[in-house]
Amino acid sequence: MNRNDYMSALRGALSVLPDEERASALRYYEEYFDDAGPENEQKVIEDLGAPEMVAAQILADYRELTAAPAQSGAAGGSAAPRRGWRGINPWLLALLVLLAIPIGIPLAAALGGVLISVLAVLAAAVLVVVVLVAVVPFVLLVGGVAFIVCSCFVWWHPASALVTLGCGLALLALGALAAMLMIKLCTLFLPPIFRGFVAILRWPFDRIRGVKK
Amino acid sequence: MSYPIASSLLDGIVLAVVERESTYGYRITQDVQKVLEISESTLYPVLRRLQKDGCLSTYDEAFAGRNRRYYRITDHGRALLRQHRIDWQNYRAGIDAIFFGG
Repeated sequence: MNRNDYMSALRGALSVLPDEERASALRYYEEYFDDAGPENEQKVIEDLGAPEMVAAQILADYRELTAAPAQSGAAGGSAAPRRGWRGINPWLLALLVLLAIPIGIPLAAALGGVLISVLAVLAAAVLVVVVLVAVVPFVLLVGGVAFIVCSCFVWWHPASALVTLGCGLALLALGALAAMLMIKLCTLFLPPIFRGFVAILRWPFDRIRGVKK
Repeated sequence: MSYPIASSLLDGIVLAVVERESTYGYRITQDVQKVLEISESTLYPVLRRLQKDGCLSTYDEAFAGRNRRYYRITDHGRALLRQHRIDWQNYRAGIDAIFFGG
Protein backbone atom coordinates (compact mmCIF):
# COMPACT_ATOMS: atom_id res chain seq x y z
CA MET A 1 0.00 0.00 0.00
CA ASN A 2 1.32 3.46 -0.86
CA ARG A 3 0.21 6.90 0.20
CA ASN A 4 -2.42 7.23 -2.55
CA ASP A 5 -3.98 3.86 -1.72
CA TYR A 6 -4.04 4.82 1.92
CA MET A 7 -5.71 8.17 1.30
CA SER A 8 -8.36 6.76 -1.03
CA ALA A 9 -9.17 4.03 1.51
CA LEU A 10 -9.50 6.72 4.17
CA ARG A 11 -11.69 8.81 1.86
CA GLY A 12 -13.98 5.83 1.33
CA ALA A 13 -14.21 5.05 5.02
CA LEU A 14 -15.16 8.68 5.77
CA SER A 15 -17.85 8.89 3.09
CA VAL A 16 -20.65 9.17 5.67
CA LEU A 17 -19.26 12.45 6.97
CA PRO A 18 -20.49 15.83 5.66
CA ASP A 19 -18.24 17.15 2.87
CA GLU A 20 -16.62 19.81 5.05
CA GLU A 21 -15.73 17.38 7.84
CA ARG A 22 -14.33 14.82 5.42
CA ALA A 23 -12.29 17.43 3.55
CA SER A 24 -10.80 18.68 6.82
CA ALA A 25 -9.75 15.19 7.94
CA LEU A 26 -8.32 14.27 4.54
CA ARG A 27 -6.38 17.50 4.37
CA TYR A 28 -4.91 16.85 7.81
CA TYR A 29 -3.61 13.44 6.79
CA GLU A 30 -2.36 14.67 3.41
CA GLU A 31 -0.33 17.28 5.28
CA TYR A 32 0.77 14.65 7.75
CA PHE A 33 2.31 12.68 4.88
CA ASP A 34 3.80 15.87 3.42
CA ASP A 35 5.39 16.89 6.72
CA ALA A 36 6.72 13.41 7.43
CA GLY A 37 8.44 13.52 4.05
CA PRO A 38 8.36 11.01 1.18
CA GLU A 39 11.19 8.98 2.75
CA ASN A 40 8.95 8.19 5.73
CA GLU A 41 5.86 7.28 3.69
CA GLN A 42 5.88 3.59 4.63
CA LYS A 43 6.63 4.34 8.28
CA VAL A 44 3.70 6.79 8.47
CA ILE A 45 1.36 4.19 6.94
CA GLU A 46 2.55 1.65 9.51
CA ASP A 47 2.28 4.07 12.42
CA LEU A 48 -1.16 5.36 11.49
CA GLY A 49 -2.55 1.84 11.24
CA ALA A 50 -5.44 0.65 9.08
CA PRO A 51 -7.31 3.55 7.43
CA GLU A 52 -10.57 2.02 8.68
CA MET A 53 -9.34 2.37 12.26
CA VAL A 54 -8.27 5.99 11.70
CA ALA A 55 -11.68 6.69 10.16
CA ALA A 56 -13.48 4.97 13.06
CA GLN A 57 -11.74 7.29 15.52
CA ILE A 58 -12.75 10.37 13.52
CA LEU A 59 -16.33 9.15 13.15
CA ALA A 60 -16.65 8.31 16.85
CA ASP A 61 -15.46 11.75 17.83
CA TYR A 62 -17.69 13.46 15.28
CA ARG A 63 -20.71 11.56 16.60
CA GLU A 64 -19.87 12.70 20.11
CA LEU A 65 -19.61 16.31 18.91
CA THR A 66 -22.95 16.28 17.13
CA ALA A 67 -24.64 14.43 19.98
CA ALA A 68 -23.78 17.29 22.37
CA PRO A 69 -24.05 20.45 20.25
CA ALA A 70 -24.91 22.61 23.30
CA GLN A 71 -21.38 22.25 24.69
CA SER A 72 -19.57 23.38 21.61
CA GLY A 73 -22.16 26.14 21.07
CA ALA A 74 -21.61 27.49 24.58
CA ALA A 75 -17.88 27.64 23.93
CA GLY A 76 -18.61 30.25 21.25
CA GLY A 77 -16.60 28.43 18.62
CA SER A 78 -17.03 28.74 14.90
CA ALA A 79 -19.24 25.65 15.02
CA ALA A 80 -22.60 26.70 13.71
CA PRO A 81 -25.50 24.40 14.60
CA ARG A 82 -25.02 21.76 12.00
CA ARG A 83 -27.19 18.93 10.94
CA GLY A 84 -25.85 15.53 11.85
CA TRP A 85 -25.45 12.92 9.19
CA ARG A 86 -26.28 13.80 5.68
CA GLY A 87 -29.63 12.35 4.78
CA ILE A 88 -30.19 9.64 2.24
CA ASN A 89 -27.78 9.29 -0.67
CA PRO A 90 -29.21 11.27 -3.65
CA TRP A 91 -28.72 8.36 -6.05
CA LEU A 92 -30.53 6.02 -3.70
CA LEU A 93 -33.30 8.59 -3.38
CA ALA A 94 -33.63 8.83 -7.18
CA LEU A 95 -33.81 5.04 -7.40
CA LEU A 96 -36.49 4.95 -4.70
CA VAL A 97 -38.52 7.59 -6.52
CA LEU A 98 -38.26 5.60 -9.77
CA LEU A 99 -39.35 2.43 -8.00
CA ALA A 100 -42.21 4.25 -6.32
CA ILE A 101 -43.71 5.51 -9.62
CA PRO A 102 -45.62 2.27 -10.49
CA ILE A 103 -47.16 2.26 -7.03
CA GLY A 104 -47.35 5.98 -6.43
CA ILE A 105 -49.26 7.05 -9.56
CA PRO A 106 -52.13 4.53 -9.23
CA LEU A 107 -52.25 5.24 -5.51
CA ALA A 108 -52.51 8.98 -6.13
CA ALA A 109 -55.17 8.37 -8.80
CA ALA A 110 -57.15 6.13 -6.45
CA LEU A 111 -56.95 8.70 -3.65
CA GLY A 112 -58.10 11.41 -6.06
CA GLY A 113 -60.99 9.22 -7.21
CA VAL A 114 -62.07 8.54 -3.65
CA LEU A 115 -61.92 12.26 -2.84
CA ILE A 116 -64.01 13.16 -5.91
CA SER A 117 -66.65 10.50 -5.17
CA VAL A 118 -66.93 11.62 -1.55
CA LEU A 119 -67.49 15.19 -2.73
CA ALA A 120 -70.06 13.97 -5.29
CA VAL A 121 -72.00 12.03 -2.65
CA LEU A 122 -72.00 15.07 -0.38
CA ALA A 123 -73.26 17.28 -3.23
CA ALA A 124 -75.98 14.73 -4.09
CA ALA A 125 -77.13 14.57 -0.47
CA VAL A 126 -77.34 18.35 -0.30
CA LEU A 127 -79.29 18.37 -3.57
CA VAL A 128 -81.78 15.73 -2.30
CA VAL A 129 -82.37 17.67 0.90
CA VAL A 130 -82.88 20.90 -1.05
CA VAL A 131 -85.35 19.17 -3.39
CA LEU A 132 -87.26 17.63 -0.48
CA VAL A 133 -87.35 20.95 1.33
CA ALA A 134 -88.72 22.72 -1.73
CA VAL A 135 -90.99 19.95 -3.06
CA VAL A 136 -92.85 18.75 0.08
CA PRO A 137 -94.50 22.08 1.00
CA PHE A 138 -95.08 22.81 -2.71
CA VAL A 139 -96.93 19.47 -3.22
CA LEU A 140 -98.97 19.98 -0.06
CA LEU A 141 -99.97 23.50 -1.09
CA VAL A 142 -100.84 22.46 -4.67
CA GLY A 143 -102.81 19.44 -3.35
CA GLY A 144 -104.75 21.70 -0.97
CA VAL A 145 -105.63 24.15 -3.73
CA ALA A 146 -106.66 21.22 -5.98
CA PHE A 147 -108.98 19.79 -3.32
CA ILE A 148 -110.58 23.21 -2.74
CA VAL A 149 -111.14 23.65 -6.47
CA CYS A 150 -112.59 20.12 -6.65
CA SER A 151 -114.99 20.90 -3.81
CA CYS A 152 -116.47 23.71 -5.94
CA PHE A 153 -117.45 21.15 -8.63
CA VAL A 154 -119.28 18.86 -6.19
CA TRP A 155 -121.22 21.53 -4.29
CA TRP A 156 -124.53 19.77 -5.19
CA HIS A 157 -123.45 16.96 -2.84
CA PRO A 158 -122.94 19.20 0.19
CA ALA A 159 -121.46 16.46 2.33
CA SER A 160 -118.82 15.47 -0.23
CA ALA A 161 -118.13 19.08 -1.06
CA LEU A 162 -117.57 19.91 2.59
CA VAL A 163 -115.28 16.88 3.12
CA THR A 164 -113.25 17.78 0.03
CA LEU A 165 -113.11 21.44 1.05
CA GLY A 166 -112.05 20.42 4.56
CA CYS A 167 -109.35 18.12 3.23
CA GLY A 168 -108.14 20.86 0.88
CA LEU A 169 -107.98 23.43 3.67
CA ALA A 170 -106.22 20.93 5.93
CA LEU A 171 -103.63 20.18 3.18
CA LEU A 172 -103.18 23.91 2.56
CA ALA A 173 -102.61 24.46 6.28
CA LEU A 174 -100.15 21.52 6.39
CA GLY A 175 -98.39 22.91 3.30
CA ALA A 176 -98.10 26.36 4.84
CA LEU A 177 -96.82 24.82 8.06
CA ALA A 178 -94.31 22.63 6.19
CA ALA A 179 -93.15 25.61 4.12
CA MET A 180 -92.57 27.68 7.24
CA LEU A 181 -90.78 24.76 8.91
CA MET A 182 -88.55 24.20 5.87
CA ILE A 183 -87.71 27.91 5.60
CA LYS A 184 -86.81 27.87 9.28
CA LEU A 185 -84.71 24.72 8.80
CA CYS A 186 -82.98 26.22 5.77
CA THR A 187 -82.02 29.40 7.60
CA LEU A 188 -80.76 27.26 10.48
CA PHE A 189 -78.84 24.56 8.64
CA LEU A 190 -78.00 25.70 5.14
CA PRO A 191 -75.29 28.25 5.99
CA PRO A 192 -73.31 25.85 8.23
CA ILE A 193 -73.62 23.05 5.66
CA PHE A 194 -72.50 25.41 2.93
CA ARG A 195 -69.60 26.63 5.06
CA GLY A 196 -68.58 23.05 5.85
CA PHE A 197 -68.65 22.15 2.18
CA VAL A 198 -66.48 25.12 1.28
CA ALA A 199 -64.09 24.23 4.12
CA ILE A 200 -63.73 20.68 2.80
CA LEU A 201 -62.97 22.02 -0.67
CA ARG A 202 -60.46 24.54 0.66
CA TRP A 203 -58.66 22.13 2.99
CA PRO A 204 -56.17 20.68 0.48
CA PHE A 205 -55.30 24.15 -0.86
CA ASP A 206 -54.73 25.48 2.66
CA ARG A 207 -52.50 22.52 3.35
CA ILE A 208 -50.40 23.25 0.28
CA ARG A 209 -50.14 26.93 1.21
CA GLY A 210 -49.33 26.01 4.81
CA VAL A 211 -46.44 23.80 3.70
CA LYS A 212 -45.00 26.56 1.51
CA LYS A 213 -45.00 29.12 4.34
CA MET B 1 4.84 1.24 32.71
CA SER B 2 2.45 3.52 30.85
CA TYR B 3 -0.80 4.99 32.08
CA PRO B 4 -3.90 5.38 29.91
CA ILE B 5 -4.40 9.02 28.98
CA ALA B 6 -7.75 10.57 29.84
CA SER B 7 -9.13 12.63 26.97
CA SER B 8 -9.33 15.77 29.13
CA LEU B 9 -5.64 15.40 29.97
CA LEU B 10 -4.83 15.06 26.27
CA ASP B 11 -6.83 18.26 25.61
CA GLY B 12 -4.71 20.09 28.18
CA ILE B 13 -1.46 18.74 26.74
CA VAL B 14 -2.36 19.76 23.19
CA LEU B 15 -3.40 23.23 24.39
CA ALA B 16 -0.08 23.61 26.21
CA VAL B 17 1.92 22.52 23.15
CA VAL B 18 0.05 24.94 20.87
CA GLU B 19 0.33 27.76 23.43
CA ARG B 20 4.17 27.63 23.28
CA GLU B 21 4.03 28.42 19.58
CA SER B 22 1.51 28.07 16.78
CA THR B 23 2.29 24.80 15.08
CA TYR B 24 0.98 22.10 12.74
CA GLY B 25 -0.44 18.62 13.07
CA TYR B 26 2.68 16.55 12.40
CA ARG B 27 4.80 18.62 14.80
CA ILE B 28 2.18 18.44 17.56
CA THR B 29 2.08 14.68 17.20
CA GLN B 30 5.89 14.47 17.39
CA ASP B 31 6.02 16.74 20.45
CA VAL B 32 3.35 14.86 22.34
CA GLN B 33 4.89 11.50 21.41
CA LYS B 34 8.15 12.56 23.07
CA VAL B 35 6.44 12.18 26.44
CA LEU B 36 3.36 10.05 25.86
CA GLU B 37 2.69 6.82 24.05
CA ILE B 38 -0.12 7.91 21.77
CA SER B 39 -1.03 6.61 18.35
CA GLU B 40 -0.43 8.83 15.31
CA SER B 41 -4.15 8.92 14.63
CA THR B 42 -5.16 10.09 18.10
CA LEU B 43 -4.58 13.79 17.65
CA TYR B 44 -6.68 14.75 14.65
CA PRO B 45 -10.01 14.22 16.45
CA VAL B 46 -8.66 16.11 19.48
CA LEU B 47 -7.51 19.06 17.35
CA ARG B 48 -10.80 19.14 15.45
CA ARG B 49 -12.80 19.10 18.66
CA LEU B 50 -10.73 21.84 20.30
CA GLN B 51 -11.13 23.89 17.13
CA LYS B 52 -14.91 23.43 17.17
CA ASP B 53 -15.07 24.30 20.84
CA GLY B 54 -13.32 27.57 20.07
CA CYS B 55 -10.11 26.70 21.96
CA LEU B 56 -7.97 26.62 18.81
CA SER B 57 -8.17 28.47 15.53
CA THR B 58 -6.39 27.61 12.30
CA TYR B 59 -4.63 29.54 9.60
CA ASP B 60 -2.78 28.49 6.47
CA GLU B 61 0.79 29.44 5.70
CA ALA B 62 2.77 28.70 2.57
CA PHE B 63 5.52 26.16 3.10
CA ALA B 64 7.62 24.36 0.47
CA GLY B 65 5.18 25.19 -2.33
CA ARG B 66 2.07 24.16 -0.47
CA ASN B 67 -0.19 25.44 2.28
CA ARG B 68 0.40 24.15 5.76
CA ARG B 69 -2.36 24.41 8.32
CA TYR B 70 -1.25 25.90 11.61
CA TYR B 71 -3.07 25.79 14.92
CA ARG B 72 -3.13 28.79 17.21
CA ILE B 73 -4.56 29.00 20.75
CA THR B 74 -7.51 31.35 21.37
CA ASP B 75 -8.37 33.33 24.51
CA HIS B 76 -10.94 30.71 25.34
CA GLY B 77 -8.29 28.02 24.92
CA ARG B 78 -5.91 29.92 27.24
CA ALA B 79 -8.59 30.15 29.92
CA LEU B 80 -9.23 26.43 29.62
CA LEU B 81 -5.49 25.69 29.80
CA ARG B 82 -5.22 27.72 33.04
CA GLN B 83 -7.94 25.55 34.53
CA HIS B 84 -6.16 22.40 33.28
CA ARG B 85 -2.95 23.53 35.03
CA ILE B 86 -4.77 24.06 38.33
CA ASP B 87 -6.55 20.71 38.05
CA TRP B 88 -3.30 18.96 37.23
CA GLN B 89 -1.48 20.48 40.20
CA ASN B 90 -4.22 19.33 42.56
CA TYR B 91 -4.22 15.89 41.00
CA ARG B 92 -0.44 15.57 41.18
CA ALA B 93 -0.37 16.82 44.79
CA GLY B 94 -2.87 14.12 45.73
CA ILE B 95 -0.91 11.33 44.02
CA ASP B 96 2.42 12.64 45.42
CA ALA B 97 0.97 12.62 48.92
CA ILE B 98 0.09 8.95 48.57
CA PHE B 99 3.31 7.94 46.79
CA PHE B 100 5.81 9.88 48.87
CA GLY B 101 3.88 10.85 51.98
CA GLY B 102 2.55 14.32 52.63
